[in-house]
Amino acid sequence: MLALKNISYKYEGTTRTIFKDVNLEFSPGKVYTIVGKSGAGKSTLLALLSGLDVATGGEIVYNGENLAKINRNHYRARQMGMVFQSLNLIPTATALDNIVLSMNISGVGGNKTRALELLKTMGISPEKSRRKILKLSGGEQQRIAIARAIAHNPPLIVADEPTGNLDKETEGKVLKIFENIAHEQGKCVIIVTHSRRVTTIADEIWHVEKGIFRRFDGNVNAPQTQKRRRK
Amino acid sequence: MYLLSNAIKNLERNKSRNALIAVVTLAIVMAAVVTLTINNAAARIIDTIRLDLGSRVEIRQDFIEMRQIGLGRDDAAFVPIASFMQFAESAYLRNSVFNAAMYAWSDSFRAVDDFSETPGSTTRINDNGEVVLVETSRLVGTSEPASLADFGSFREISQGRMFENLNEAIISEELAVQNALTIGDTITLSAAYSDGIVYTLEIVGIYADRTEPYVNFFLAMNGRFADNRRNEIITSFDTLIAGGWQTNAGLDMQVEYFLADPANITAFEAEVRALGLPITYNVAINQAAFDRVTGPLAGMHSAATTFMFIVLILGAITLALISYMAVRERKYEVGVLRAMGLERAKVAFGILAETVIIAAVCLILGLGIGNAISQPIADFILEGRVATANQEISETGGANRVLFAGGQMQTDDAAQGYTPASEIQISLEVAVILQIIAITLALAALSGIIGVVIISQYEPLKILRER
Repeated sequence: MLALKNISYKYEGTTRTIFKDVNLEFSPGKVYTIVGKSGAGKSTLLALLSGLDVATGGEIVYNGENLAKINRNHYRARQMGMVFQSLNLIPTATALDNIVLSMNISGVGGNKTRALELLKTMGISPEKSRRKILKLSGGEQQRIAIARAIAHNPPLIVADEPTGNLDKETEGKVLKIFENIAHEQGKCVIIVTHSRRVTTIADEIWHVEKGIFRRFDGNVNAPQTQKRRRK
Repeated sequence: MYLLSNAIKNLERNKSRNALIAVVTLAIVMAAVVTLTINNAAARIIDTIRLDLGSRVEIRQDFIEMRQIGLGRDDAAFVPIASFMQFAESAYLRNSVFNAAMYAWSDSFRAVDDFSETPGSTTRINDNGEVVLVETSRLVGTSEPASLADFGSFREISQGRMFENLNEAIISEELAVQNALTIGDTITLSAAYSDGIVYTLEIVGIYADRTEPYVNFFLAMNGRFADNRRNEIITSFDTLIAGGWQTNAGLDMQVEYFLADPANITAFEAEVRALGLPITYNVAINQAAFDRVTGPLAGMHSAATTFMFIVLILGAITLALISYMAVRERKYEVGVLRAMGLERAKVAFGILAETVIIAAVCLILGLGIGNAISQPIADFILEGRVATANQEISETGGANRVLFAGGQMQTDDAAQGYTPASEIQISLEVAVILQIIAITLALAALSGIIGVVIISQYEPLKILRER
């Protein structure tokens, strides 16, 4: 579904290499978690996967097409849902408007009833759904950001620390939702996290350090170096 | 459609910022409505006056100008009355009004300010050193009583009626009272500068006169009571000419020729010159009168235009700055929308739509409010300018120089008898509405384009990383 082929990345104007020859594959119906220290390149990976940034070498292939050559606005709007670390909700709009706007941008149409149902699933009451984002708690905002990412039913969900502001109970509910989306609806879920609990729902766990991805193969204490493709 | 509905919601979401933009836009639109309607109305009145005064050609021997170019009284030329009539037949004309005035002498009544022992006995020494009787009044003749200067404003018939038939005349109340003249009485007078021309006129009307008695202080000081306007005896042009005039020697002919098209003045002049009009005669519109009548309006027109340009330039700069700051404040929102996959053009459309909605609301409000306040503002400005113009006229005292030649009296105040236009009717015309719409669209475009240009420089990841 989504594959990184010999991906390299350097920040513009610097010589510092973030990634070099990274090869990864993400398939539908699975939950992937990416773990690693701050500054290891996790968020950069998500930026590349979401088409917000472009690799300096190699290619990212989505359903057989090079991401650099397709309409990335269209890709972001329709093919993927993204939960940003800083949430990136529109603060002056209501929770409901944030969801409906996302649905409209994706082309599925802003269905208020579906948006309210989704918010309710996330534990946001109809009354709170009509409040402006600024008047909601951090946890509520995080749940709204998750609802926005899945509202238009995209085949790919990319989430950056999606449970960072949630209590244990809500975190459990949200993780269940991610798990269901992958395992029951056959979507691909990629989560960047520091939370060990989040990794419990993962089908594959990848650890990134100094631009090197290593896979945990069922045992978080035994990292496995990624397979590198040779040209 | 959702972009439009989101734009409408955004207006509410960013109330204070949009209110600021709306206030500036509304102020510009209102100022534009006021200035454009005033400009339009003033220009329309000036055009109407130009059509009237600008088409009114006078053929006169200008003694003051002759003197300035070194010609004396002996150089004056006289034109047959029949020639003045012939000029009126020109194909360039739509109408002609014949006016003439002559100094008259009479001992059958005492003129106002004639303090001599017996009426008409005042004497003077002429150019030949002979003692002669001075004129006592002026006989004014017109082919168009409705065009008589000051009637309808400072003069009105208080008894009897306007003359209609040969040898009928009207006199002032002061002259009537001084001589106990009433309707039906007759007066006898003769031409002061042409021998053998005698009139016996029946008084059919008496008029009240609120004009200044003398056009120039010098006339009053020198006892020229014949030039006291209360001593004007007004009759028809036919009556005056029927006295036996062959040329305008001793007669002040003031024929007004109305051109069908003011642009044909040169062609008309060529035609009358070809018919023998001497070079000492001017063929010209009364520019001084035109300037006096239209002065306050022209001043208001000019001031309104300047004001509008200042408002438009300052307003556009202010609006541009506010728009620039507004879009920069929304940088994060733009980043989020772009990160969600909304195309740059659609983000720009949303911002443009917000600007256009604000502009449309301001346009409707501005047209309404601007239209309502235009008339009082125009009245206020015009009133001030007319007062200033009248003050200047009264301070300069009208005519500064007076010249007598060949029985004619001329002053250097060609605009005498004309008053500045003091009324203006404001209306919101379709042309003005279209101009306002164009201005509003231009402002909206300015504001919107700034937004679009700034947005086009934003990369979503950069914005979100900066945050």
